[in-house]
Amino acid sequence: MEEKKPILTARNISVAFNGMPPVLTNVSFEVKDKDMLAVIGPNGAGKSVLLKTLIGIIKPTAGNFSFRSGTTIGYLPQRFHVDYYLPMTIKEFLGLKPHPKYSIDEALGLVNIGNDWKGKKLGLISSGQLQQVLLAWSIMHQPNLLLVDEPTENVDIGGQESIYHLLHHLKEKLGTAVVIVSHDLTAVSHHASNVLCINTHRVCYGPPELTITKESISSLYGEKAFLHYHPHKHEH
Amino acid sequence: MEHALLTTTAGIFVAAASGIIGSFLVLRKMTLISDALSHVALPGIALGILFSFEPLLGGLGFLFVAALLIWKIEEKTKLAIESVTGVLFVSALAIGTLLIEEHELLEAFFGSVESVTFAEALLQIGLSLIILGIMAKFWKPLLLTSIAPDLSAAEKISRSRMELLLLILIALTITIGISFVGVLLMSALLIIPAATARNIAHNLTAFVVLSVTFAIISLGSGIGIATITEINPGIITALVSAGLFVISLPFTKKS
Repeated sequence: MEEKKPILTARNISVAFNGMPPVLTNVSFEVKDKDMLAVIGPNGAGKSVLLKTLIGIIKPTAGNFSFRSGTTIGYLPQRFHVDYYLPMTIKEFLGLKPHPKYSIDEALGLVNIGNDWKGKKLGLISSGQLQQVLLAWSIMHQPNLLLVDEPTENVDIGGQESIYHLLHHLKEKLGTAVVIVSHDLTAVSHHASNVLCINTHRVCYGPPELTITKESISSLYGEKAFLHYHPHKHEH
Repeated sequence: MEHALLTTTAGIFVAAASGIIGSFLVLRKMTLISDALSHVALPGIALGILFSFEPLLGGLGFLFVAALLIWKIEEKTKLAIESVTGVLFVSALAIGTLLIEEHELLEAFFGSVESVTFAEALLQIGLSLIILGIMAKFWKPLLLTSIAPDLSAAEKISRSRMELLLLILIALTITIGISFVGVLLMSALLIIPAATARNIAHNLTAFVVLSVTFAIISLGSGIGIATITEINPGIITALVSAGLFVISLPFTKKS
């Protein structure tokens, strides 16, 4: 049987802003159905820029990318500033979602947020809780490709597990492909099917067991970084 | 009597449109730009008076061009928009003041009820309905681009188009509001009711409903008192809306 076309194909993507040194140079990769591609790299490596390029906020200066026809994309940004005084509840915020397929209750249930939360003001919840609400937003239209930028940042350990559990659920049950930017190498090695290491250019690309090595981590984060990586902690 | 009824009706429509547009301006923290933008109507009004055509249409023309200019500058340059608007709008105010005769200046600055003609009141009601209709149609995308630009980009909603749409709606709202409150006190109708509502509201529905209610109370008081006294309606509207804002302050912490 002929293999299905990748849901996302990126070729030699380069991004530079107004004559500054390039933020990304010649980054290529592909994402297939049910893939979870983890994008790792140090701060300033261009990870968030890569996701913003894929959703069209930033235009690449060279290279191209294409989505398989009919692809619907969900996006969870790394930062989302909410004014403390914003008079908007979680329910009202999720009500703004265009073309939802999950109801607000269903989406909140999927990210482990109780219904009693719906009336809470968006500006008054913690940043970790806000992250979960945003994840609910990004999956409400049942996307077949989910781009998530550090979804577990500021989320407590229980919340982190439920986020990875949800991503797994989407991947396995609905066939959703996931591109996830993360600093959590342990979680990445455990959950990702492929890893893209970047530091403005592509440093490594492949399955976690071949990419998350002492050499690649040292090359990305510096010589001592590997000491902080403990894959055995999360192994079941 | 008929004139009072018509201007009051027009006032309610104008206040409703201002309350809704104002709530967006407060959400987007665009309060100063909208205040400055209202000054730009003055040279247009002056041309209307000088060449005997409807001053509101002159104001609308100038506001429309200014809205497009702000949009283009934001779109194409990295210039600090506050500086550019500051220079442009102070100049507009100065030119308008030069062109308008002294006895008409007070009305242009602080509004009037008497000088609102039948045609003007109908124009205000018609434009209010257009503003409310456009808001109803684009409510969600306008709101999403206001509070979460990145998320709206991912939903393929053009932030730039929504910004242009909002600027045009602001221009239309200022056009219909300035005959009542004048070019200097437009904030009393556009910004203060929404800021007051934000102090009290726990959710978006309450925010918008309260913003509209406070705008109607403020302008209604302005029109009512101006009808029976010599005071310009803009002044009363500003004092009432500022009073409501002060009353709302103790509620800020609780909400």
